[in-house]
Amino acid sequence: MSEPLLSVENLKTQFFTEDGTVRAVDGISFDVHEGEIVGLVGESGAGKSVATSSLLRLVESPGEIVGGEITFKGRTLFGLEEDASGELRPRDDMLSEEEMRREIRGREIAIIFQDPMESLNPVFTVGGQLREFIELNRDLSEKEAKREAIDMLREVGIPAPETRYDEYPHQFSGGMRQRVLIAMALACQPDLIIADEPTTALDVTVEGQILEMVKELQTKYDTSFIWVTHDMSVVAEICDRVNVMYLGEIIEHATVDDLFYDTKHPYTRALLDSMPRPDETVHELNPIEGVMPEAIDPPAGCRFHSRCPDAREVCREVHPEPRDLADEGEPTHRAACVKYDAFDVGYDESRPIEGDAAGGFGAGLTRTGGEE
Amino acid sequence: MSLLRYTLWRLAQAIPVLIGIVTITFFLANQIPGDPVEIMLGPTPAQEQVEAIRARYGLDRPIHVRYLTYLSGVATGDLGLSIYYDRPVLEMILLRLPVTLLLMLSAFAFAIVTAIPLGVLSAKRRNEPADHVSRIVSLIGVSTPSFWIGLVLIIVFAFHLGWFPARGLILPWADPADVRGAATRLEVIRQSAHHLFLPMISLGTLQMAQITRIERSSMVDSLQGEYVTLARAYGVPESTIVRKHAFQVAQLPVITIIGLGLSTALGGAVLTETVFEIQGMGRLIITAINNQDYELIMGTTLVFGFVYVIGVIITDVTYSYLDPRVTYGDD
Repeated sequence: MSEPLLSVENLKTQFFTEDGTVRAVDGISFDVHEGEIVGLVGESGAGKSVATSSLLRLVESPGEIVGGEITFKGRTLFGLEEDASGELRPRDDMLSEEEMRREIRGREIAIIFQDPMESLNPVFTVGGQLREFIELNRDLSEKEAKREAIDMLREVGIPAPETRYDEYPHQFSGGMRQRVLIAMALACQPDLIIADEPTTALDVTVEGQILEMVKELQTKYDTSFIWVTHDMSVVAEICDRVNVMYLGEIIEHATVDDLFYDTKHPYTRALLDSMPRPDETVHELNPIEGVMPEAIDPPAGCRFHSRCPDAREVCREVHPEPRDLADEGEPTHRAACVKYDAFDVGYDESRPIEGDAAGGFGAGLTRTGGEE
Repeated sequence: MSLLRYTLWRLAQAIPVLIGIVTITFFLANQIPGDPVEIMLGPTPAQEQVEAIRARYGLDRPIHVRYLTYLSGVATGDLGLSIYYDRPVLEMILLRLPVTLLLMLSAFAFAIVTAIPLGVLSAKRRNEPADHVSRIVSLIGVSTPSFWIGLVLIIVFAFHLGWFPARGLILPWADPADVRGAATRLEVIRQSAHHLFLPMISLGTLQMAQITRIERSSMVDSLQGEYVTLARAYGVPESTIVRKHAFQVAQLPVITIIGLGLSTALGGAVLTETVFEIQGMGRLIITAINNQDYELIMGTTLVFGFVYVIGVIITDVTYSYLDPRVTYGDD
């Protein structure tokens, strides 16, 4: 395969709070190639949004990117090196804050946020906001930017864009506002668009329409996407490859088909099982037991062991890094679970964890009780 | 509805409010124990003298007749005759109102010009030294009475340092011939500003402190808005974000506070005018009350009420101009 558009290596973002260090993103690696839609999936609190704001270096204090490397089209968005005294410092080729703002944000990488109600500024017209960003990121004159904005509003399916251009966000419905935000992202003609749960706040019919539209426009403009979601059905609908996140780590990576039909990690399995299906009643729903532990003090060993139905003693001790489990010649399929032979840490000989993690809601909460 | 029609509509709505003010003030003023004529003529006046005065000011007629006469007078711009000054009330008000308005406007100008940058800076540098300083200053400002500030300013800057005059006010549009030591218009304006400085600070400090506090908290909120994050993600420079994206949204509560501040400032003006011996509306109303000058009490109260109503209308109109979500009540 060709050089990836974006590559993220061992990215770590932490929040330094009074209660301790929150390891929101804890060493994730993934890449995005030209023209593909890569999914980033996980429960609330898995670190998906922190990961995406790290890509644009927009993490706000007390958060900070503490390690890893982000490369975009050969340029270093983030990278550290050790100096003579062993202290970490930004590498010389790392873009400055000013370069990030001028040359990357909006221009090369655009973002669509989850909440279309809050993302648009209530006191400016929709057209004005669109025009401002286009002007800024494509070096167009005000007049050209306005024409471009109206064209793009038409492109994302907003009727009568000339009139709607001068209206305010509160005059738009939720779905229409999300279309505006998509228009905003596409109009800046970036190579990569980060879509941070863009359809979560919308109802399912509108969600369907918007996913359709994005697929069409994605083909037309050949833009790459990182699609952040917690909804497996959206993943199935739109993504080419998927990264599943749990507690700050990517625990499984596969093409969308492999992920659904050859699921490796028990967490991914659990996510898929917890999806409501039309042929099942609510009682047959199979939610994941327990709650996700705090990222402030993640469990030792495999982070999912406290909720994992397959967990054994060894899972408490060994912290697995994702390994490629795909057969020869097949697309990469990485997963971080020691039950696969590729890890060879004695899973088969290990005893199941006492008090069975799948035994109930409390299991996830009392994880420290069994440690000895 | 357009903004203009909305403004006119709000002005029309103010008419019943003003009628209410006139009515309440009229009956309240007439309920005050004592008799203005007695105050005027001393303890043992001649009966004919009393009757002549009563007839002259219409005090011999029944109260409801006087009320209706007064109301129709107000409608035609006649606010009656001041018993104490023996001049038309309107004339007295037109003489004093500009003084108070000048004082209030300069106090608000001072408050807004200092408070908004201070509040924005405070929000931008939240929990840094600049923020702490600005918060302490505004806390002291809100909790210090304006007359006390006035007295301290007089003691320090007028009495000890002698930088500013301690009393009186010169209107910038006064005739140079009437102003001592001023030959030209420019000289008059300079002297006017010189006189205005201490009263302006004395009256404006409370407003400044209040506006700073609201500006800060409002900017803090708005800087955390998702639209600010979006603007950052699209490479908008931080200065533009503060100046434009966050600022405009943040001004809505600030405008409300400024509008409401107009009424407290009127009260403050009474005290400030007393401390600095300025012949404005505040001292006029005190003279009116002390002398039971019915017509003057009503006239000045009406003007205060009017200024307040106008303040509220300006607030509402500015609000609907700045916030497109505010409708003009027709949908």
